[in-house]
Amino acid sequence: MKATCWMGRNTVEVENVPDPKILDDRDAIVRVTSTAICGSDLHLVDGYVPTMKRGDIMGHEFMGEIVEKGGGVTNLNVGDRVVVPFPISCGGCWSCQNGLFSLCENSNPNARLAEKMFGFPTAGIFGYSHLTGGFAGGQAEYVRVPFADVGPIKIENGISDESVLFLSDILPTGYMGAEFCEIKGGEVIAVWGAGPVGQFAAASAQMLGAERVILIDRFHYRLRIARENLGVETLDYETVDSVPEALKELTGGRGPDACIDAVGLEAHYHGPAYAYDRVKQAMRLESERPFALREAIMSCRNGGIISVIGVYGGLVDKFPIGAVMNRGLTIKSGQCHVQRYMRPLLERILNGEIEPTFIVTHKLPLSEATRGYDIFKNKKEDCLKVVLKP
Amino acid sequence: MTVQVRARDKDSLARFLGWFSLGLGATQLAAPRALCKLVGADGGGSVPTLMRLMGVREVTQGMGILVRPRPTAWVWSRVAGDALDLSLLAITAAKNRRARTAFAIANVIAVTIPDVYESRFLTRTKGPLRSGELVRKAVTVNRPRSDVEQAWAAAADLRRKVDEAGGTARFAEAPGKRGTELIVEFEHDPPAGDLGAAVQNLTGKDLATQLSDDLRRLKQQLETGQVVRSDSTPSGHLLADHLSQRAARPLEEALR
Repeated sequence: MKATCWMGRNTVEVENVPDPKILDDRDAIVRVTSTAICGSDLHLVDGYVPTMKRGDIMGHEFMGEIVEKGGGVTNLNVGDRVVVPFPISCGGCWSCQNGLFSLCENSNPNARLAEKMFGFPTAGIFGYSHLTGGFAGGQAEYVRVPFADVGPIKIENGISDESVLFLSDILPTGYMGAEFCEIKGGEVIAVWGAGPVGQFAAASAQMLGAERVILIDRFHYRLRIARENLGVETLDYETVDSVPEALKELTGGRGPDACIDAVGLEAHYHGPAYAYDRVKQAMRLESERPFALREAIMSCRNGGIISVIGVYGGLVDKFPIGAVMNRGLTIKSGQCHVQRYMRPLLERILNGEIEPTFIVTHKLPLSEATRGYDIFKNKKEDCLKVVLKP
Repeated sequence: MTVQVRARDKDSLARFLGWFSLGLGATQLAAPRALCKLVGADGGGSVPTLMRLMGVREVTQGMGILVRPRPTAWVWSRVAGDALDLSLLAITAAKNRRARTAFAIANVIAVTIPDVYESRFLTRTKGPLRSGELVRKAVTVNRPRSDVEQAWAAAADLRRKVDEAGGTARFAEAPGKRGTELIVEFEHDPPAGDLGAAVQNLTGKDLATQLSDDLRRLKQQLETGQVVRSDSTPSGHLLADHLSQRAARPLEEALR
């Protein structure tokens, strides 16, 4: 079969690889009908996530049809159309049973490696380095899905792939980011990053009752998509001297009630501070460039919430812990517990509360994955989200 | 229950000094001329041979410290070695008057201080020798105690491994109805002390490493009914294989 493979830093190629087979009783093989490139895939391509191996199949956002299943998968049948969540979760451990699916205690066969890096291991993830288990990803014609009886959600009616594909990661991730903000109605929420996750976080904040949502980025086409489709306020950070100052004045001197970081470790910035972090990152003295996170902390109102859904992998420098402690901020974060949100969000899609297709700017055949990565990474052709069709 | 922490006689400073001796000595043996240059000595004649002899001395002291449970005499021998180094460097300084020699003297003094401190500390340490340390590996399984006990009883290889090491296994209810804790404890006292432990660690053959695999796999079996495998880990969680994995893509037919 054809699959999108990581062939080294900044090199993604479509290769011929063996077809996957059932290895365990609770596996299923899914024939992929749609798969997407995620912003976090770019962290792998750019070489900021360690433990990638040449030849690893990428991709953790995918859906398709069950073509084979093991005897332990009783809730799905061959021929079922399913969306597969990106965390692999066993359903039997304490974490899974308490809804912490991305922290599954059993699904990462490289748990010890993750333990050394993070203190405790996290769940296995499709196509996302060996730190998360070394599972082959979904930007391929076929995928082996372990614990298929727990994760995949069946799509019963004729709704389009693009409407439900993002249930695999970015829609629940954006939603969880908004849910972290404890919105009760009337809040002002600021979101850093108008990429797909930031767009969905902004949409979810509105859906949950925020009164104002301010989306921050520098790419005008992304801000325009948000204004036109969601009606949120936007801020081009390159037009202001200081984002925290600008937000303070935009919110009557209070600051946003909650700040969502949907940017993560490869943030951009203008000014000398960018050079400082860029150099330290290049020398591997820190692994992240946490501008969005620092700004979110400095901008948030006293006693507010910082919601971190952008991906971080290691250590940051100049972290304003003094602001967090003295101003009583709460930081909430995590890889999304997708399984927890798939069904309720599918309901919201079906009854028209949210239409996730507005972010799709490019549909390409899988064979053009290399070009897909290039235009998504380099923001060419006004690219916001690439869907690949095997 | 009181949490038992069994302290060893040999603290981390002694171990550091042991590894330091071993590292410095190996460098002296491997590159005597470069080191002569570094301390401002002439690299000709019998000087490199003298440097090599000092290297043999350092390596011997390092191994002595790492192998012995309470290496009092060996750490004192480092103090004597420091005195010897300082007098040799003083002769070099008088002869060549180079700044590098002064820098080398400063470095030797910097390590003489912890040498003297640790020697005095070990001299004051009394009582029976304590060479081993208590290693504890524990896992919480989200299953009733009877299930975990049954699985333990069935895991003959694992039990034999623990028995042979003189280890014990016990069970406890996890707080908050989170299942059952399985706790394995054993005394870790490898024949060649810290040196032996390091060798075992590197080869992944030590019991602690094996237990971290075995207990994880036991938990997986009980909670999911299988040992979890990915495309790059066809045998499941094995610590020794972490650094030499195949790519995350489906296995070729021959390897299945």
